[in-house]
Amino acid sequence: MSARDAILSRLKGVAPDKAEAEALLVAPEQPMVDERALEAEFLARLALPSVSASHDAIETIADLPAAVARYLEAQGETPTLCLPPDPRLNGCDWSAFTLHDAAAPDEVAALAIARRGIAETGSLVFETAPCAPMLPNFLALHHIVLLPVRDIVAHLEAAPLTGAQPRAHYWITGVSGTTDIEGTYVRGAHGPRFLHVILLRAPVA
Amino acid sequence: MSGAVDTATFKERADMALADRILKVAVERTAGTAETKRAVAVDAFPDFEAARDRAAAIKDHVVAHLGAYLEEFEANAIAAGAKVHWASTADEACRIVIDICKAAGAKSVARSKSMLGEEIGLPHALAEAGIGRVETDLAEHIIQLADERPSHIIWPAMHKTREQVSALFKAKHRSPHEEETIAAMAESARRELRTQMLGADVGISGANFLIADTGAICTVTNEGNAELSLVPPRVHIVTAGIEKIVPSMPHAIHMLRMLARSATGAALTQYTTFYTGPKRAGDRDGPEEMHIVLVDNGRTKMREEGLAEMLRCIRCGACMNHCVVFRQIGGHAYGGTYPGPMGAVLTPVFDGLKQSRDLASACTLNGKCQEVCPVRIPLPTLLKGWREKSWREGLEPTSMRWGLGLWAWVARRPALYRLGTGVAVRAMQMLGKKGWIDRLPLAGGWTRYRDMPKPAPQTFMEQYRKERRQ
Amino acid sequence: MTRTVALFVTCLVDLMRPRIGFAAIRALEAAGCEVVVPEGQTCCGQPALNSGDRDHAVALAKQTIEALEPYEAVVVPSGSCAGTIRCHYPELFEHDAVWLPRAQAVAGKTFEVMAYLDEVCGWRPEGVALDAKATYHDSCSGLRELGIKAQPRRLLKGIDGLHFAPLKGEETCCGFGGTFCVKYPAISNAIVGEKADAIDATGADLLLAGDLGCLMNMAGKLNRKGSKVRAFHAIELIAGMGDGPAIGEEA
Repeated sequence: MSARDAILSRLKGVAPDKAEAEALLVAPEQPMVDERALEAEFLARLALPSVSASHDAIETIADLPAAVARYLEAQGETPTLCLPPDPRLNGCDWSAFTLHDAAAPDEVAALAIARRGIAETGSLVFETAPCAPMLPNFLALHHIVLLPVRDIVAHLEAAPLTGAQPRAHYWITGVSGTTDIEGTYVRGAHGPRFLHVILLRAPVA
Repeated sequence: MSGAVDTATFKERADMALADRILKVAVERTAGTAETKRAVAVDAFPDFEAARDRAAAIKDHVVAHLGAYLEEFEANAIAAGAKVHWASTADEACRIVIDICKAAGAKSVARSKSMLGEEIGLPHALAEAGIGRVETDLAEHIIQLADERPSHIIWPAMHKTREQVSALFKAKHRSPHEEETIAAMAESARRELRTQMLGADVGISGANFLIADTGAICTVTNEGNAELSLVPPRVHIVTAGIEKIVPSMPHAIHMLRMLARSATGAALTQYTTFYTGPKRAGDRDGPEEMHIVLVDNGRTKMREEGLAEMLRCIRCGACMNHCVVFRQIGGHAYGGTYPGPMGAVLTPVFDGLKQSRDLASACTLNGKCQEVCPVRIPLPTLLKGWREKSWREGLEPTSMRWGLGLWAWVARRPALYRLGTGVAVRAMQMLGKKGWIDRLPLAGGWTRYRDMPKPAPQTFMEQYRKERRQ
Repeated sequence: MTRTVALFVTCLVDLMRPRIGFAAIRALEAAGCEVVVPEGQTCCGQPALNSGDRDHAVALAKQTIEALEPYEAVVVPSGSCAGTIRCHYPELFEHDAVWLPRAQAVAGKTFEVMAYLDEVCGWRPEGVALDAKATYHDSCSGLRELGIKAQPRRLLKGIDGLHFAPLKGEETCCGFGGTFCVKYPAISNAIVGEKADAIDATGADLLLAGDLGCLMNMAGKLNRKGSKVRAFHAIELIAGMGDGPAIGEEA
């Protein structure tokens, strides 16, 4: 008998009742979020020591390069950026930057567009796609994220996509950290040491 | 862990741990911080008790319908392009992983911390197969350099002090830290590991959750080492216990809220990733192959033999952080893959009760672990179940069996019992001085460390009868 | 209305510190109860139950049920023995159609003494005074199996002159654990050592708790390390017997 058959034969039973599984989700306990002030709630979570992300805000996507330049300059970094091949970024003038589309092992900064911001936790939600590689967001020292304000939602339940799933769906909640040595918190364990969120007020084209 | 420790008995290991004051400090720092942070997070959550009920109900629902959910998961994972393997035993699971690595021509694998990997002995199996392994979780990296085993399921290197870590890194890293700070040490590991992760042929992870209705596997880390270990290599292998299933994403979300708060007191881990199959057409990164190994290793047996509640466990570590015994002896003394209360329940399943009967007994049954468990596992009840089995199978020491048997025989005869207790208090009267007994025959374990109050000259029953007669 | 209650003395109180039993009787009588001490009682069987010796645990549970079932209520000066009867007897007879209802009936009317005085009788000590600073340890079984937390504190508040110093880790196990402390004495010692330090750090004169096993463990450690803290079962103070010898003091 194959291991599969051996295991499943010991787990025979009635098929799960979908209604029973659904019933387990009725009115889930969730952290309190003021739905009328999602942006403020989200920013408050971003500022928590466990998340420790910085933020900025722009009116239109055309303002993005200037906001990125402002951030990098303030951090004492050169205007070098790993940029995803996302058509939404085409309208931006990146002429002031040295751009590359594949991340180097010691990449200084990478930009990404989040699909959602979660007020409950201060999380940013991403999916992989041909125009959205994943690795740069983990390799870069500075992870810079564009988030349209209207895409901020209250709770994690609004994070997943329905239907067919992308290869990776991921939530980033702050900077890479570790408490593995004597429980002492250190930023930038393996991934980004800095997370900078740029809120976009106008809808993205 | 050194050979000497491996062959020692539980009591010998515990004595070694108790004598190690550095260990005590290290355990106290990490577990104490975790305890405090969890309390704050739980207080801030609107209704954590109801959330625990829900979490337990979700897991019970899954365990009741485990076969069907596994088949649903398998079908969806295959549809997403993953290959699904099944393993009944630890050896079988390791063999599957090694075969995949060999087929991929792997020289090195990057491993993202997985307790299941430790449970099935994967590090050892990879070494035997001659496959280089780089542990990418910082704590697992420390453990690998020290050639030890994890002492905690969330903080595997909690038994190490900063001085010990510093010495290790200086001896083993190519360009080690110069400044004696924890931040500098973490930076040294970052430099050391990054190129190794990016150069690995295979990435191996566990799974915190398997999502039945999408076929996704979920990993959570705070360091981001999972993603850096699993995205660059050509092959991603997942080894997961079959109990890791949840029906859907919203179920996973509830469990994630419980996991992070219970483990570290955070609202969520920094990186929470759901992987559904390998790289898609046009994707810039991601593995070309994704393999998922579903591991039984005693879990179906647990379900059949009264330990189904243990399959709720989401490996948060809260039980050990709050355990008075763990806080004194740390994780290695337990001698198994999993320490603390949950480990004391699980280790007899993997290592046999004969080898590990001490673990269930070395517990005060104070119930704190059950109180903090996010999925309400009745850990003390399960430990008492092992005690009962050990008694039934004659594994308990003869002196204990005879002593308890004699006492119970007398206790079932109230008249004789009154006589016996009357004699006992008079005997103890003679041993005491100034109200205390500092050495008591048959209770040396007590009086070695503390005094025994001298009993009153007469038992309650004797005094009560006398009063009534008057 | 006079309530007739059966006192389940517990083997440890019977053997080591009878005045806890007499204190329970005194307080219950003050609360208007008539107290009887059933003859057939010895031990609730907890040592056997916690050692995995199910047969002896069942035998002792049956004996205890038979001794206690004729009474309106059963009162126990120990959270862990009351917890055994209330929570674990029904579990022991889970598959026994004859004994399960009997176990459940006794379980349903069994109370820890301070919970009974506070919640059922609604009683408070009157005219009791003791000028002292006390600290309180919440014994685990009472706390987690029976929810004993506020009841002793409410009763102790009725004692004039008694004030409290909070104990750091008041809900942390003292390391007694029944047979645990003799099977694993070194681990138990490490735990009770920390507990004794925490008790000393309160600066209290008195250590109070609701379980004699835990009290003997903590008092025995305190005495060994030369502490001046004196230990009592809380019911002794509540019954106005706090002026007598503490645990380990000659009468």
